[in-house]
Amino acid sequence: MSPRQLALIPSAVALNAAAGWVVKSLGLPIYLDTIGTVLAAALAGPWVGVVTGVVGQVVFALSTGDMMWLPFAVVQVIIALLAALAARRGGFRSLGVSAAWGALVGLAAGAASAVISYAVFRGVTATGVTAVTTLLSGLGLTLAQSVTLASVGTDLVDKLLVLVLVGVALRSLPRRVAARFPWAQRAVAR
Amino acid sequence: MNGRSAPLVARAHPFTPLVLAAAIVVLAFALPAPRGPMALYAATAALVALAGAPRALITGAIVCLPLWFFLFILHVALRGGDGLDAALAQGARLGAIATASAALLRSFRPSRFLDAMAVRGLSFHAAYLIVATLQSLPRLRARAHAIQEAQRARGLRLRGAPLGRLRALVPLTLPLMLGSLAEVDDRAMALETRGVAARRRTPLAPPSWSGWDVLACSAAAAALLLALGWRVVSP
Repeated sequence: MSPRQLALIPSAVALNAAAGWVVKSLGLPIYLDTIGTVLAAALAGPWVGVVTGVVGQVVFALSTGDMMWLPFAVVQVIIALLAALAARRGGFRSLGVSAAWGALVGLAAGAASAVISYAVFRGVTATGVTAVTTLLSGLGLTLAQSVTLASVGTDLVDKLLVLVLVGVALRSLPRRVAARFPWAQRAVAR
Repeated sequence: MNGRSAPLVARAHPFTPLVLAAAIVVLAFALPAPRGPMALYAATAALVALAGAPRALITGAIVCLPLWFFLFILHVALRGGDGLDAALAQGARLGAIATASAALLRSFRPSRFLDAMAVRGLSFHAAYLIVATLQSLPRLRARAHAIQEAQRARGLRLRGAPLGRLRALVPLTLPLMLGSLAEVDDRAMALETRGVAARRRTPLAPPSWSGWDVLACSAAAAALLLALGWRVVSP
């Protein structure tokens, strides 16, 4: 791993946490806690994104003492790989293309989250998603249907916003900075 | 707090609480439900209290309270749930894991952990990633707060309708992302100057293994082998 890639990962992990704090302070029902993972993957490729996602989950577990959510590292890996694929295909070149890739990443992340939530946690995870699951279950859906709908619904909106925001940031990068990250230039099709 | 009078959890080798917590996570899912996870939660609570971290019990319970509430609603109160036994088993699993995690957090000292990693010969890259990330977390959160205050002073509305708050995301997250990338440049230059690839750390005071550490890790390994063996042979 090059010094630049090594230096990028801690900032990207901290960005995940800081963006999570921003949306919490705005009182928005989303997470944005993968924004750093997507940015790292779009700037430096899939492996830097994957390491960012996994290190983020481990450090979060160590710094909060909450190891329950470690299985969701798998979701971070999926997001990093898809974000890198989006970058490779110029998926951040415009708002519309970023949003389309965001919807795809959201569907994949939501499906993976649903499997983990149902198989490992029996549908009870973060309070916001579990509240939606409970509501859907109360409306007569089975637990598996409720968990899937709640996970995919929340992740779809969240990841769409994440990829749109990262796209805005990548397109705003000065050419001098973008030149240091070859993946970034391809991501915005420069 | 590092002398003989310090609680066991503070004196333990940095790897011991990690090994115990990992063993508890595996046992929580390997032991037969619902009695196995319930007994594990009781044993974890007793172990944590004996190790001198009774506050971890309260922290673990606070983390689990909303989860226990939703488990009851989804699996017991509403139709189509998995029933009381499943809710009790899952609640006990989460309780044991949250209590062990809280105890792990109380014992975790980044510098001792890194010294232990260096003794084991783990790479500078792995050590750097953990330390630099732990240091970046409070710094970037403080920057996010500063950006929020600055944008509010410029007239950005952070309250009101959801659409308005959603619009505030760009002026709040964009400077955060670009600022953290500027930091990457400085840090990469510092790493290059220090020749990161060539260095291997030698800790000044490497943490040592006590008899208690060996006993605890051996007991965890034995419990894991028994539980996994039972899973294999049981019908």
